[in-house]
Amino acid sequence: MANISCTGITKSYGAHPVIDGLDLTVADHEFVVFLGPSGCGKSTMLRMIAGLEEVTAGRITIGGTDVTDLHPGARGVAMVFQSYALYPHMTVADNITFGLRRLGVPKDEVARRLRDVAAMLGLDALLDRKPKNMSGGQQQRVAMARAMIKTPKVFLFDEPLSNLDAKLREKLRTEIRKMHNALKTTTIFVTHDQLEAMTIADRIVLMRAGAIEQQGTPDEIFDRPATRFVADFIGSPTMNFRMGIIRNGVAEAGSIRIPLPPGRFAVAEGQEVELGLRPARMGLVAGDAPGAIHGRVVLIENMGAEGQVIAEVNGAEMSFVTKEFRRLAPGDAVSFALSPDHLHIFDRASGRSLLNKDA
Amino acid sequence: MVSLILRNLARVTLAFLVLIALTPILWTTLGAFKRLRDIVTPVPKLFFSPTLENFATILGSPTIRDGLVNSVIVVAVAVGLGAVLGIPAAHTLARHARRWGDDAQFFVLSLRFMPPVAIAIPFIVIYLDLGIYDSLGGLILVYLVTTISTVIWLAVPAFERVPREIEEAAAMEGCREAEVFWRFSLPIAAPSLFGALVFTFVLVWNELLLALTLAAQNATLPVVAASITSLGKEVPWGVINAATVVLVLPPLVFIGLLMGLINSMVRAGGPKKG
Ligand SMILES: Nc1ncnc2c1ncn2[C@@H]1O[C@H](COP(=O)(O)OP(=O)(O)O)[C@@H](O)[C@H]1O
Ligand SMILES: [Mg+2]
Repeated sequence: MANISCTGITKSYGAHPVIDGLDLTVADHEFVVFLGPSGCGKSTMLRMIAGLEEVTAGRITIGGTDVTDLHPGARGVAMVFQSYALYPHMTVADNITFGLRRLGVPKDEVARRLRDVAAMLGLDALLDRKPKNMSGGQQQRVAMARAMIKTPKVFLFDEPLSNLDAKLREKLRTEIRKMHNALKTTTIFVTHDQLEAMTIADRIVLMRAGAIEQQGTPDEIFDRPATRFVADFIGSPTMNFRMGIIRNGVAEAGSIRIPLPPGRFAVAEGQEVELGLRPARMGLVAGDAPGAIHGRVVLIENMGAEGQVIAEVNGAEMSFVTKEFRRLAPGDAVSFALSPDHLHIFDRASGRSLLNKDA
Repeated sequence: MVSLILRNLARVTLAFLVLIALTPILWTTLGAFKRLRDIVTPVPKLFFSPTLENFATILGSPTIRDGLVNSVIVVAVAVGLGAVLGIPAAHTLARHARRWGDDAQFFVLSLRFMPPVAIAIPFIVIYLDLGIYDSLGGLILVYLVTTISTVIWLAVPAFERVPREIEEAAAMEGCREAEVFWRFSLPIAAPSLFGALVFTFVLVWNELLLALTLAAQNATLPVVAASITSLGKEVPWGVINAATVVLVLPPLVFIGLLMGLINSMVRAGGPKKG
């Protein structure tokens, strides 16, 4: 078990840097998720920590040892790939134990550890099978067992669930988190799925175009996005954005008027801003309630326990989520409002959040 | 119902085509066991008293026996060396120099565009100068060009089909490049490499022109077989048939052996040792 520290990591393919001077530390026992849109450099970053890609500049240490120039096998890390990457010419048992056997670990020790991980991941019945005759979920379990059996200092996962169907994805996600709670091995997990990141992470590192856009706990990322990009990327349904202006301590956007708690935002009178309203932080209100937004229902999406209501407000669509969606029908007039303290305000030019740090 | 008829029709057609393709070979094989008078009858004979005379003639004739031995030596060394040098080179090309891979492949293909005579004649001159004209070593050398390039040409795509993540997973377990190659890339690509080797083998086993021009005393089997057919009117058909069988047999044996090797390689599941 170990902490990880990356300083000034740069990676270029040719002249164009894919990662540019990235600094990151991961504490011992921490479960960190690299999140970001496809192509932002998550895999590249992970693969540099694994040793599968060379860094162009910068240092990586694991558990206090500088591993920047070490072979992947000498770093004490284990990796699980999106494509499972099982050895097709070996049985499941041989796949899992290859690394230990290669190191010359005694036979009975190998057998004991194989029994342990197989039991943990429910693979007992599959040990003599070849990978190609197994389902994706089973194959990924084997890959996880192969990573676990070596009791590495660090686990690296590169989109391990992306090839699985939704239900299995949820199940394995839970298992991975449970496994981490039991083993406490420092883990970096890469995904482009914000829900996966929110549910599994101790800390999310949200990346954009090779740089860290924001890092923090899932709650911080969700409720205090540092930029419009983060606010837009996190949360489903996605946040509503409206161009607005600050007048007399009220954020105005068309007919929308949202009073600002004093001191919460670093805004000036008359400043042109962009407002962010999270659908999940809104609800139905009486028509004369303060801060009420009035619109006309366009569409209702039933999600079971809740429904997403898409309403037309000032000629543009705005969505919110409510449990009472069954009372509404397309064409109805509707009034809804943001819960207090859940407004986001972004600078139009830089996209940075104007929320005060201590607010 | 219609699909069933169609499927059966397809089977019958296939069987018919296979029969057409195999008939000359079967007929040749039969002919190899016939006496000359059974072959040159106006009515083809299916039933006859078989004889091993033709094979005795073949294997008794020093020219043919030497031709067989020469062929086996030349082809075995050329294909063997071609595989030993070409397969690792193909792996490296596939993994580290993909952008050169296409050029290399086209170069190899372009070797095939050239009429063999165009290579043969300069080679005669060079070989005479070097003093390796009419030597097995010289033949092996010129065949190596063919075998190495063909092996590379066919093995690069075979290695490209081995998922890179598998090699990376092996590297994560501590394997260095050579170990990754031996224990993972090679066994996983083996079934495709098998085809490459068989193709290469057949290519040089059947090679006539270079063997004809670059060797005189040390003739290979195709050269000898070709010379038998130009014996004039008194064509020893039975002997020719037997020679053909002898010519075809080694590739079959070779394919069988290679197939067994690969099956055992794949089934053993890599390393068994601790
Ligand atoms: N071998 C490579 N050669 C050139 N560009 C690459 C290579 N690998 C990745 N890239 C580029 O680096 C960027 C980041 O890739 P990657 O780390 O795979 O993104 P992510 O995993 O976040 O989707 C992408 O723009 C990709 O095109
Ligand atoms: Mg990726």
